[in-house]
Amino acid sequence: MKPPAVRSRDTAYLLTAQRPQRPEPSLRTSDVEDAELAQAAVRGDPDAFGQLIDRHGLAARRAARAILRDEDEADDAVQEGMLAAWRAIARFEPARPFRPWLMRIVVNAALDALRRSRVRQAEPLGETIESAELGPDRRAEASLLRAKLDAGLATLPERQRIALVLFDAEGWAHADIAATLGVPEGTVRSYVFHARRAMRRSLGTLAEGMK
Amino acid sequence: MTLSPFDNQRDEELGRLLREQLTGPAPEAFLRRLRLAVAGAPVDPWEVLAGWARPRLIALAIAAGLLLWLGAWFEGARSVPDAGVMVASLPSHAVVSSQPPAVDEIMAALRERP
Repeated sequence: MKPPAVRSRDTAYLLTAQRPQRPEPSLRTSDVEDAELAQAAVRGDPDAFGQLIDRHGLAARRAARAILRDEDEADDAVQEGMLAAWRAIARFEPARPFRPWLMRIVVNAALDALRRSRVRQAEPLGETIESAELGPDRRAEASLLRAKLDAGLATLPERQRIALVLFDAEGWAHADIAATLGVPEGTVRSYVFHARRAMRRSLGTLAEGMK
Repeated sequence: MTLSPFDNQRDEELGRLLREQLTGPAPEAFLRRLRLAVAGAPVDPWEVLAGWARPRLIALAIAAGLLLWLGAWFEGARSVPDAGVMVASLPSHAVVSSQPPAVDEIMAALRERP
């Protein structure tokens, strides 16, 4: 039997309608560790909050970048959100999950920044270090993919962007995303569904452009 | 990419692409920046006190309310009049006087009672 032709990772994604399904990983252990660190942070331990930053800082950055689509503004918004969370840590209720509480603060900071910068034209997200290390063909392909992803994200309402990133990129449960956004779980499912459909439309044009 | 509103599964490939797109350069430096920002912004001690005090104040208010209710309940139980006893109210000079009150004073006090 002839082996399948080698495809790039990115285009392989575009040619596959249905992906292998994997159960959502359990977050219980992570939540327990978060709760212990959050309790220490509530008592005023900055090292514990630093560990929480290590655990959730990049997810917060990705969510902020999805909302703002501007690197510097997103990083500033995450920092503003983290500082706000640290100042308000005494008001955190340890019985509740920490992650949605933190992300809600960061998301609100990013949405505030977005409202402030509505008048400015958003710049497309820049290249990552990884793409700079690729060869010319792969760089061009990656650049095109980035542009399409960015264009796809730009078509989505902010809440759909957040739901898509937290669900598919971060692996969050619908319940945690619902707590972050302050909406019912069914609404989160709807956000993810519509966001995926829009992204599929956007990425589909990438496959045509590569023929 | 799965396209069902009832789908509970992550789309691994889309998730990977989004992570690559959105993580940004120098993630370790970014986390270090956040930690430094937090380390340079100590928590307001009043916030800590407020966070510590709120649940205790609520508990204290509940306990005080319970005690007041119990006190009022005992007071009410104790002040129920005995139907068989009629207490006359004598004029004050008759109460403090070392002499026994006159009969007409006792009769007047009894007649004044409702």
